[in-house]
Amino acid sequence: MTDTTSTEPDTSTQRPARPVAPRVWKWAISAVILVAATWSITGLDVSIDRLTSAPGDAWNILKRMWPPAFAEEIDRGVIGKVLESVYIAWIGTVIGAVISLPLSFLAASNVSPVWIRLPMRQLFNAIRAVPELIVAMIILAVTGLGPWAGALAIGIHSVGTLGKLSSEAVESIDAGPIEAVEAAGGRWISSMRWAVFPQVLPTVVSYWLFRFEINVRASAVLGMIGAGGVGSELVSQLNFRNFPEVGAVLFVTVVAVVSIDTLSAMVRRRIIQGGTGGEGSRNDEALADLTGISLR
Amino acid sequence: MTQPVGEVGQRPTKPRPKLTVVLGLVAAVVFTLYSAQQVDMRVSTFVDMWTNPLWEKFWPIEWDWVLDRSHVIDPLIETFQIGIISAVIGCSLALPVSFAMSRLTAPNRGVYYVTKAVMNVVRAVPDLFWAKLLVTAVGVGAFAGAWALSIFSLAVMVKLFSEEVDSADPRPLEAAKAAGGRHLPSVATGVLPTVFPAYVAYSLYVLELNIRASLVLGLVGAGGIGRVIEAQRGAFQFDRILGILVIIFAVVFILEQISVALRRRLV
Repeated sequence: MTDTTSTEPDTSTQRPARPVAPRVWKWAISAVILVAATWSITGLDVSIDRLTSAPGDAWNILKRMWPPAFAEEIDRGVIGKVLESVYIAWIGTVIGAVISLPLSFLAASNVSPVWIRLPMRQLFNAIRAVPELIVAMIILAVTGLGPWAGALAIGIHSVGTLGKLSSEAVESIDAGPIEAVEAAGGRWISSMRWAVFPQVLPTVVSYWLFRFEINVRASAVLGMIGAGGVGSELVSQLNFRNFPEVGAVLFVTVVAVVSIDTLSAMVRRRIIQGGTGGEGSRNDEALADLTGISLR
Repeated sequence: MTQPVGEVGQRPTKPRPKLTVVLGLVAAVVFTLYSAQQVDMRVSTFVDMWTNPLWEKFWPIEWDWVLDRSHVIDPLIETFQIGIISAVIGCSLALPVSFAMSRLTAPNRGVYYVTKAVMNVVRAVPDLFWAKLLVTAVGVGAFAGAWALSIFSLAVMVKLFSEEVDSADPRPLEAAKAAGGRHLPSVATGVLPTVFPAYVAYSLYVLELNIRASLVLGLVGAGGIGRVIEAQRGAFQFDRILGILVIIFAVVFILEQISVALRRRLV
């Protein structure tokens, strides 16, 4: 090989210098995480022996749950209680869906004037800021114990999350049909009904189903403070330290949650099929619903 | 057969709804009615609630009590500490577990299926169930709460991040393996850099999620501000609860603003 054209023979073996800025960031962020973690541990009142004995304690409890006492739990009506949690979640989702659907139109920036949009958004944010357990606690205090209080609490919270998600769905529609309705002389309400509603329906319905999945978990938890459902059963069995029964309750809950998730995911896939929600939107959706905030 | 063209006033025929859609709607309505009956849905509740004398107990807020450092601020700090440490633990553990739970990077089929099954079960148990279980196992307090949230956030993070790893570009990994790399170093150099920004973004999410979740952990005895709420509920001090709620409200609002700003800068 002749070297007549090559003016820089050494560059092939010479590595480019590593940039400094990313490394500085890396160290800075690591330091922040380390400091935050250390500060957090100091507040948790952990001694070394507690830390080392904890996994053993947890494992012991897990071991004592085996074999689960299914027969006893079925006698105590655990299936009915899990179903009650499902009913609570469903009614809560329906309440949330029915109230949030019209409100989400009013909160969307492309179809709603600013003086109504801003208060609506703040309403959604305000509702989302209060955990549903605390909503349930207040409602329970006023109405007395029972599943309806739980359903109401879940419904109120769902208005906030569904309203936010649905209004973002409305904001991402194609504006063409709205213009068409307006050009044909339609009023605002007609353009909502004939231009916006058909476009957002698949997305919004899939949000409802997603919310239902989340609400099943939430309603199971609500039972722990007396709002009906499987949570109360778990708490009482744990308080009496009947671990085989606890195992059975957990098993039935997990089966119910997993089967509802699977079923709902199937239906959602059918609904979205052919819609705009492409691959990769799955995570955004999951995140949005877990936190009530959207990535976009 | 020719379609009459240009006939004025004739609308196109509306497509008939599909049978599955009709059946689905009917099933949804029936299930709704049945559920409504099962949960004793009553509209009269709203009247009862409106006229309930208990509301008077909510007002005026007892600010002197609420703003006392030991009553609300200290438990709130404990809440943050639970949220932060559990996010750190959950997200650190999630990194290797996610790689084991992705088809692209799992060392073998067995590891993939076992991890996936375990994580699905862990995620199906609601966070406060974990808290209550761990309170029973290791005793009342923030330690149990931190542990419960670590487990739960590990499961959530693994779910989100492993899907990100699934959709990563497989070619750098193939290149590393073709150059003779062993499995773990290949993953570390071929996949990790491409998915790391997503990891950071999801970690921020999990942190926010954990702080929100830790607000209510105390309702089952797992530490933080929820403990105070639970105690005041028992004493029917709703004026204090309302004050705590106002503070929680402000905290969540500020948290969300910070989180949104950070994420905008990152993503």
